[in-house]
Amino acid sequence: MLSRRAALVFGIANLLTAALVAFGVFVALPARWWPVDGAAVALVALELGSGAGLLLRAPWATRVARAACAVALALGLFTVSVLAVTASWLGGVYGPVGMGGAVILVLVAALVLPYVIVLPLVQLIWLRPRAEAKG
Amino acid sequence: MSQTRLARWLLAWAIATAVACAVVHHAFVLDVDEAHPRVVVASVWRDGALLARAVLARAADRDPRLDAALSASPGAVRVDESIVGEGPALAFAEPVLALSFVPGRDGMKVTLGDRTEYLTPDDLLARQGYDKGISVPSVQLQAGVDVPLALALLAERFGTSARDLVERARFRRIRVVRSVPGTPSPRVVTADDLRDDDVREAIAGMARYLARGVDEQGRFRYLVNAPTNQTLPGYDWPRHAGATLFLAQATALLGDADLGFATLRSASWLRDHALVRCGTHSCIGDDALVDVGSAALATLAFVEIARTRLDPGYALAVPELTEFLRSQQRPDGEFMHEYDRATGHPVDVQLLYYSGEAVLALSRAHALLGDARDLDAATRGLAHLVGPAWSFFGSRYYWGEEHWTCQAMDDLWDRAPSQPALDFCLGWQAYGRRLMYGPGDSPFDADGAYGFGPVVTPRLTPVGSRSEAGIATLEAAMRAGRPAAELALLDAQMRRSLAVLIRHQLHPGPSYLFVDPLAVDGAMPGSAVDWQLRIDYEQHSGCALVRWLALRHPHG
Repeated sequence: MLSRRAALVFGIANLLTAALVAFGVFVALPARWWPVDGAAVALVALELGSGAGLLLRAPWATRVARAACAVALALGLFTVSVLAVTASWLGGVYGPVGMGGAVILVLVAALVLPYVIVLPLVQLIWLRPRAEAKG
Repeated sequence: MSQTRLARWLLAWAIATAVACAVVHHAFVLDVDEAHPRVVVASVWRDGALLARAVLARAADRDPRLDAALSASPGAVRVDESIVGEGPALAFAEPVLALSFVPGRDGMKVTLGDRTEYLTPDDLLARQGYDKGISVPSVQLQAGVDVPLALALLAERFGTSARDLVERARFRRIRVVRSVPGTPSPRVVTADDLRDDDVREAIAGMARYLARGVDEQGRFRYLVNAPTNQTLPGYDWPRHAGATLFLAQATALLGDADLGFATLRSASWLRDHALVRCGTHSCIGDDALVDVGSAALATLAFVEIARTRLDPGYALAVPELTEFLRSQQRPDGEFMHEYDRATGHPVDVQLLYYSGEAVLALSRAHALLGDARDLDAATRGLAHLVGPAWSFFGSRYYWGEEHWTCQAMDDLWDRAPSQPALDFCLGWQAYGRRLMYGPGDSPFDADGAYGFGPVVTPRLTPVGSRSEAGIATLEAAMRAGRPAAELALLDAQMRRSLAVLIRHQLHPGPSYLFVDPLAVDGAMPGSAVDWQLRIDYEQHSGCALVRWLALRHPHG
């Protein structure tokens, strides 16, 4: 059983992630594109559900949180890969990206990494079904 | 999933991503060999129109079609675009295709069936097809090739539809080096080789371009599409006044009577048609809502015309305008930037540039007429601009456009020196130095320009305006006895910026792409690929160059 403190921390973190993803995709991005918007909606819904479940100590909360983390991690890894490959493509087409380009790419990566890679990883490890496996 | 398994998955992902990056980069980087072009796309151009084209094996080769076009059209020019590199272009989505070409250097090689057509950089430049592909208005970003335009041009050549091209054609990227046979390569001005004659010639070109555009009423050709020489809609009083200021400076420097006539025509349009009542004061504008910037820049233009004795009578209009400027100043030194003529009240809003313009205008007016109230207002305005107006956590890492502020700081230095203002301006220039492109930092000829990433062609107007301020700051720093090492850094920075401005001036530029090359000769483009000409482009670059000569030859 997840401790009260862990449930509180992960619950708040997931709600925060939901808010940040919603803000990043639906406010910060200047155009709408269904693959990104659809993935963002799914992730926001999962993060909201898991966050609320963890805070309310719902019996299904841990399973939903694990699912949310897996989806977030998969999307996060995919996003970072796409960003990295895009940067490589731009580097191939345009040559040197200069200090400005490098700074922008590093900042984007730094903004994405904590919420959709580091946090889901920590949660997946923390929430892994140890007790159930041992019976 | 166990921790070990998770770690293995992550390691596999990292390796796969790294390999994908390496493969993609390798696939799209061009193997450029300028010594051995793959083919040469030879074109005959006249007045911006493509008359004939042939794809040749070598630059020295001739082709009957080219020879016929050259002999049939006096004044036509043969231009060789040597293809020195070729690589793939992604065409699965329009934005991706748009960003697949370096503006001004890359073109398209398109194959449909057994036929190949080239859309060269000159083709795209003649139709202003770069930096139009994607637009992000919130950050004023425009980048990439105008894909619909490119497809339309190609579809016409293939005799098919754009849709057919998208569905069946194969797109590739070509890197092009341009040469005009029989024409010696022009001298390339660099920071290390920046001569006074280069600067003087550039000033003359910009001033004469502006002067040619002043009509009988005194209005400029505000916005011009250089390739077609069409005047585009729009007008702006602050920019009219700013262009008049530069013309007055150039007239004084060059002693050119034609420039003087144009200056007086444009100044009289301001004085006789735009000078209106704002309550008990005079201001510049023709709407119910007028701004401080128009009055400030008109003041600067009138002061310059009077100071240089082009027409001393313009001094009479200055006090009316400075009264208005002072009436718009708040007790804390900030200016209220608008005035509502309908209600007779200032509007306390702050817009870009206007406070700095007002401070410089008041300072110059005091230098001409000696009204102590102007000096007091300018001093308080400057103190506000470099103090409370830009004081927040992080203000050392983020700056506005302070070109007027720093010119005002320099202008006031002999009468009201402000060490905080000098430090502020030196800090801003140091910040600019960090953002400035160096050689090889971008695919563009951009050493000395400013940019934000490789896909955005550096704009030249900020180079001009920051140079005005940088040279002013250098002048004040010299008078303040700042360390030689600090001065040398700023001096080198300014030389790089001025050199990049001169290199990009349409003087004459690729004149064969212009319907009327003489009409736009001397103008400053917006960027290397944006040939829409606005009068403030010459104003900022020209004023910077005038300042540079004044710095190097303070006694004329």
